[in-house]
Amino acid sequence: MRRTIQRALVIVFTGAVLGLAANAVSPRRIPYLTPPKVTLQSQDTIPLPEAQELWTSGSGFFLDARAPADYAAGHIAGSLSLPIEEFDDHFSQVQRFLSPDSMIVAYCDGMDCELSNQLMVRLRELGYHNVRHLVNGWTAWRTAGLSTHTGTQP
Amino acid sequence: MADGGIINAYGDTAVKIVDLILRLVMGGIFILSAVAKIGNVQVSHGHITQISHVPDLGTFAQDVANYHVPPRELSNLVAITLPWIELLAGGLLVCGIWKRASALVITAMMVVFLAAIGWALAHGYDIRCGCFGTVEARKVGAIALAEDGGMLAMAAWLAWRLRDERTTGKGDKL
Repeated sequence: MRRTIQRALVIVFTGAVLGLAANAVSPRRIPYLTPPKVTLQSQDTIPLPEAQELWTSGSGFFLDARAPADYAAGHIAGSLSLPIEEFDDHFSQVQRFLSPDSMIVAYCDGMDCELSNQLMVRLRELGYHNVRHLVNGWTAWRTAGLSTHTGTQP
Repeated sequence: MADGGIINAYGDTAVKIVDLILRLVMGGIFILSAVAKIGNVQVSHGHITQISHVPDLGTFAQDVANYHVPPRELSNLVAITLPWIELLAGGLLVCGIWKRASALVITAMMVVFLAAIGWALAHGYDIRCGCFGTVEARKVGAIALAEDGGMLAMAAWLAWRLRDERTTGKGDKL
């Protein structure tokens, strides 16, 4: 039994070292320790009623910052998929719809989700200043009974 | 006695076949689950649409953080290391190298996964399972709990059986 436990520890240790090494050479490496949470300013977030108004008037763009599989499983109707983790691959498809003055609502899912916040920061760096973040976007939208779609981006 | 011996021999063979099947199934599940996380596999409408050699650990790290089980600062470290431990343990189990040790590692991981899902359900977190990386958008729930419960049972059986196999083997010779 003792030898089994020793071997089990070797497996865990070797796997961990492989993971650390793979992350070190990955072009999409992530920090070893999770960075502290960014505190959102009130001007960075958009309340649900305002987002709904923007959606109804058709004057805003809704961007889904989650992974494409999540988008395909269900998203705010009319929103475009722009997964922050694959931003460079997807931005060109979305860019043609946007102008620097566009009203943009970024969303993901869950109160603690930071993907849309990261997307907002990224878009602002690129000169899109009217970006705001809908907190707990997908769940808030869906549970409010607002319009949703499923499927991949056309 | 001879008949009993034959029955025992058949019984032993049957159990060994079950062991082999469980070993391949559990090892296979762990390899698939690891590859889904490491390989950034995207699936749409049941079809694989993308397999990238560039891992999408950011999303998986977010999935880990959403459980609120490890301290928030460590969720990236878990996302970086966990898939490779899964891959190694699953690979060894399938190849039949250090079977018992890898079954033990898998059992321990299943206990942790089950506890994490239970924790998320108990706290009412409506979060993505993350069980197979970003392949599936499945949320934690009763189905994930049941699946993990089944897998824990299989892994525990293997950890127990593979040890027994060795000792029984010795016993048979006596």
